[in-house]
Amino acid sequence: MFSRSLSYVVFRKELRETLRDKRVLLGVIVSPLLVTPLILGTIFFFAGKKQMQKGEAILDIGIVEQAAFPELVQQLDDNATIKTKHFDTREEAITAVEKRIVRAVLVVSETARSDFQNDQSAGLEMIFTFANETSQSAKSRLQNVIKEFDKSALAKRIQTMALPESFAKPTSLSINNIATSESTGSFVLGLFLPYLIVISAAFGGIQTAFDLCAGEKERSTMETLLVSPASRSDIVQGKLFTIFTISLIASLCAITGIVGPLAFGLDFLKDSVGNQISINLTSVLAMLLIVVPLALFTSSLLLVISSFARNQKEAQTYILPFISIILLPAMLSTIFGAETQLYTAFIPVMNISLTMKQILGDLFDPLYFAISLGSSFLYAYIVMRIATAFFQRENILFRT
Amino acid sequence: MIIAENLTKTFRDRKRGLVRAVNNLSLTCHPGQIFGLLGANGAGKTTTLRMLGTLLEPTHGNATIAGYDIRKNPQEVRRSIGFLSGSTALYGRLTAREMIQYFGQLNNLRGTDLSTRVDELIERLKIGEFENGRCDKLSTGQKQRVSIARSIVHRPPVMIFDEPTSGLDVMTSQTIMAFIEQCRIDNLTVVFSTHIMSEVERLCDRVAIVHHGVIAAEGSVDELRQLTGEAVMENAFLKIVHEMKDPHV
Repeated sequence: MFSRSLSYVVFRKELRETLRDKRVLLGVIVSPLLVTPLILGTIFFFAGKKQMQKGEAILDIGIVEQAAFPELVQQLDDNATIKTKHFDTREEAITAVEKRIVRAVLVVSETARSDFQNDQSAGLEMIFTFANETSQSAKSRLQNVIKEFDKSALAKRIQTMALPESFAKPTSLSINNIATSESTGSFVLGLFLPYLIVISAAFGGIQTAFDLCAGEKERSTMETLLVSPASRSDIVQGKLFTIFTISLIASLCAITGIVGPLAFGLDFLKDSVGNQISINLTSVLAMLLIVVPLALFTSSLLLVISSFARNQKEAQTYILPFISIILLPAMLSTIFGAETQLYTAFIPVMNISLTMKQILGDLFDPLYFAISLGSSFLYAYIVMRIATAFFQRENILFRT
Repeated sequence: MIIAENLTKTFRDRKRGLVRAVNNLSLTCHPGQIFGLLGANGAGKTTTLRMLGTLLEPTHGNATIAGYDIRKNPQEVRRSIGFLSGSTALYGRLTAREMIQYFGQLNNLRGTDLSTRVDELIERLKIGEFENGRCDKLSTGQKQRVSIARSIVHRPPVMIFDEPTSGLDVMTSQTIMAFIEQCRIDNLTVVFSTHIMSEVERLCDRVAIVHHGVIAAEGSVDELRQLTGEAVMENAFLKIVHEMKDPHV
């Protein structure tokens, strides 16, 4: 029916014209498929490299021995990732941290060694600055060395006292993660992918929506179209389905741009995410299904804005409230989490985001999915009706 | 044929309150006749033509176009008219051929009927050399020829021209004027709005002088000259307009 109707004629023409718009191609296809993976890859690559450099770097650590503690100092000297420097006073050492001569300082108290030898706790003080990343690293490294020192000292004390090894371990806890590598990967994906899809579906159609309605008014082509035999409903439908198609393409490209590089070969990305990324076909189909009402909803909302605006510039000024309407519920979904109460399935946009989280996190709930899908279609229908009503009003179409 | 009876259009303006853009305007235009609406900017010409073109709904009154009621059969009315205005533009990212085809499809032309008609118009209006060029790359004259083709692709019996030469150079204006004359030869019903006296003198069989939304005088160019005792149409127009009391005052 649609293929023979005038709305299909309008749709085909609008889609053809839209796909010739370089701004749309760049924003909807090129950017998510090439630029986003490239940016993500670059970020992960340099973050990984930096992390590696951090691990390999030798850090200068200061020691203030108010009384000699050779056992501990020897352990510090033996650590290949630390270079020790001795200071006479605590104040001198603090100045050295501030001037970045050393990154952290260990102050050994006067009674430290004697306490240690008497099976007491040796008094130590660590000085670092939180305002410096390298100082934070030095603090962690120093903590690890002391932890190792404590561990070996404890073992010796237990041995000397002829106590069983379990003396120092009142409980024996073994942790078993039953999640498969794939499901952990999907969970990680679920933390950001729904948010990204919502943004793509919502914002992918902006340029098209503004061009198809406010742009037509601005270029004076709207009058020509309105005087054709196509009814206003035909015109709205044709334009709406064009925006909807572009929004869907934007979502698909966003998914492909993120999942593609993770799933097909970029190992350093997999390492950064932590696990193997894989989504099964059913999940993909369920996500595609749930993104349909979202794209319809946002496309209709954009058409309402574009119909109301006199020109594209005016339409741009309404974009901030639109972004808030879409982004706020999408951001709220990160607070609610995938296991949430049923009423959230009625909250527009957020329900889509949460449903996607559930799908990716192996928490698929058919009832939640059905309510979310149904309510989203209802909201999309309501906004579609508003868009159509706007298009019927001559005081809006011919606003000057 | 166009028959308009007591067409009235009011709208609410924030500053001016209720504005009567067109007030009880009636006109009759026959096939093979060019009917001119002559008036200054803001006189109500465009609003009248937009009502005839079913773009705006009249507040009162009615009209029939080619026998179709503009209120009851707006879609049939739109099928029966070709609408050309000086301000209407083309779709920049479509080619000239695609533009004509699109409006043919909107008028339910399909298959060979469509392609034959498009080919015919491309040949008749000498669009061939730029038929595959994108509309945003065409010159003003070329764009105007495509606009003409777009407006008549469905062979409408009625043509509505809203200041079709506005903003065009003399050469391009001549193309439009010649086209309007051809419409008369082809026995189409033509209604034409303008504020350019020379166009009225050259084209119009009957003229209605519109001022403040009402018809101040109607007749042939000669009749209006005789009525005012002026030899020049411009003076006749000014005399009629000045003698008319502002209905809004």
